[in-house]
Amino acid sequence: MSEELAGLTVGLIGAGNIAHVHVAAWKALGARVLVHSLEGAEDLSEQYGLEVAPSLDGLLAEVEFVDIVTPSATHKEITLAAIKAGKNVICEKPLTLTAADSHEVIDAAQAAGVRLYPAHVVRFFPAYKAAYDAIQAGRIGEVAVARFYRQASSPAGAGWYRDVARSGGVIMDLMVHDLDQARWLCGEVTSVYAVQNPPTVDGISPVNVAAHVTLTHESGAISHCRATWGATGTTFQTGFQVAGSTGVLKFTSDSDTGYKEELQNGAADGDLLIPASTLGESPYLSQLRELAVGLRGGPDPRVLASDGATAVYLAEAARASMESGQPIDMKTFVSTGAVA
Amino acid sequence: MTLKVALASFAHVHAGSYAHLLAAMPDVEVLSADPDGASAPDDGPRGAALAEAFGIPYVDTYDELFDWGPDAVIVTSENSGHRALVERAAAVGAHVLCEKPLATEVADGEAMLAACEAAGTILMIAYPVRFAPSYLQLRANVEAGRLGDVFAVLGTNNGKIPYAARQWFTDAKLAGGGAMVDHTVHCADLIDGLTGGASATRVYAASNRILHQDKGVEVETGGLVTINYDNGLLATIDFSWSVPDNGPTWGGVSLQVTGTNGSVEIEPFRPHVGGTDASGEVYLAIGGNLDASMVNTFLDAVRTAGPAKAGVAPAVVPQPDGAVGLRTLRIVDAARRSAASGQAIDL
Repeated sequence: MSEELAGLTVGLIGAGNIAHVHVAAWKALGARVLVHSLEGAEDLSEQYGLEVAPSLDGLLAEVEFVDIVTPSATHKEITLAAIKAGKNVICEKPLTLTAADSHEVIDAAQAAGVRLYPAHVVRFFPAYKAAYDAIQAGRIGEVAVARFYRQASSPAGAGWYRDVARSGGVIMDLMVHDLDQARWLCGEVTSVYAVQNPPTVDGISPVNVAAHVTLTHESGAISHCRATWGATGTTFQTGFQVAGSTGVLKFTSDSDTGYKEELQNGAADGDLLIPASTLGESPYLSQLRELAVGLRGGPDPRVLASDGATAVYLAEAARASMESGQPIDMKTFVSTGAVA
Repeated sequence: MTLKVALASFAHVHAGSYAHLLAAMPDVEVLSADPDGASAPDDGPRGAALAEAFGIPYVDTYDELFDWGPDAVIVTSENSGHRALVERAAAVGAHVLCEKPLATEVADGEAMLAACEAAGTILMIAYPVRFAPSYLQLRANVEAGRLGDVFAVLGTNNGKIPYAARQWFTDAKLAGGGAMVDHTVHCADLIDGLTGGASATRVYAASNRILHQDKGVEVETGGLVTINYDNGLLATIDFSWSVPDNGPTWGGVSLQVTGTNGSVEIEPFRPHVGGTDASGEVYLAIGGNLDASMVNTFLDAVRTAGPAKAGVAPAVVPQPDGAVGLRTLRIVDAARRSAASGQAIDL
């Protein structure tokens, strides 16, 4: 257990896919974890040795801060409940499903004097942090053209992901990571152009779908984000190429690992929804440690609620672009807050 | 039967590759002309001196070249010169292999197709990556349905800026633009071949000049084009000259094709033996000579078609043909207009 996090009690809200990864990190950090969820709390508790909180209020009364890992559409309500109880919050991305809602929870947190951090874990993946540091240090000069991609076996065959009102669709759910990366690595965004195939019809996402988004940045840089909910069995892969005036940075998650296996027996597939951790320390652990230290009054983490809100805002602009067929000027874009 | 093949202009860097291939063919008689070479701003030989280096016969003027009565002409001029040379070839009934892009303006491309159609000559476009084994495997898998329904493609063509060898590539008038014109068409052609000729319906492009600012070029050096096609497919092409001058000279071309049953990614120039020698990285390409496959396909078609008959379509239409050249040029033209206006362009 780390000294700076001694005596920590975390309230985990939600027990789905990402909960497992967060629980493993909290246990590694020596935290006591209470879990509350509409479904799956008992199983998760049994598997990892947690304590089940039968009610949200009961959980809020006992914990130092909460870690919200519920379906995206419930983030706002639960975050507001935690803020009302005076608890600091870590909330899985997307912070909320609209920028307006994100600003509402940010304002509420400020008014209540509590801290709120979004879990944009990709900022904690070593490859992305190394690229960020190299760009900040001027290693590739001025960024000109950057590409980011992210693909996963489609989660849209089951559960809430396919319902765009609940997940936001492939851009809000999956690409939001790279929208944040594009802004982190290339700077503030001036325009957003988006296309998706097949299109979303009546608020239901296709099971297999790709979205391509082109961003222009204040610096003059151009970036491209590509997110794919692929065929069943598609391995989770991410990568980027950032070309600058004096150099290029490239990374591909499936080939630049330094480890390749070909095992004929018992090689189970990993969970396809969640990026496999790197061989070193889990980026989820790095993330939750940094966020928890921040919540305890330490230095600000590398990602703030405003970053989470902006990522959502960019995803909304992408949706608006798909509706109009034209790029969205971010100087004038006002999100309508409509989800569909 | 010995074919008379004319090589018109040495402006394009590929002229050397074609010259060497043609010179080595026992049943081909080759003649070249490069009358504009002397006035080019580049270092190094052009014209007669370069023909001598290539080991092929040379005449001083295009008049002499076309009066020679070629069966086929390979056009390797600056992009803006393609139309005049293709029209001259058609006028003497010669079949044409034209360097990409087809032309710098859509109207020129349309005129070239019309001229060749009227003359009954073949018009093939020099898109060599079509002949890469990896691409042929991809296309076979797409056609066999192994990817399911293909719904998205990401193409990259990220070479070095071709500035040192031939400065016209960065002259907007001679080239039609910069990296957007030079590089978009290759990936657009590969996509065209996978879709059986789907047409673009909407094109959006963003470009900038951040790369290679030190060279003072006035054309775009980097950017992206996103294309919607009439069959629903969406594609993005990164056309940036983003391989640094000191980077590897290989690679840069890739195509990621995603379908409902899985995806395939190809890197046609990746097959190689690597290593190190006294001057640095060694990269021995083993992916096949794509130019040879392309030129052989063209010349086989020329032999099969025989002499052109005005108004009669050639008996064989080797791919990629002028229609592909025009479809891919329309994409580039829309991309130019989109980048200039900041708006997506409907076609």
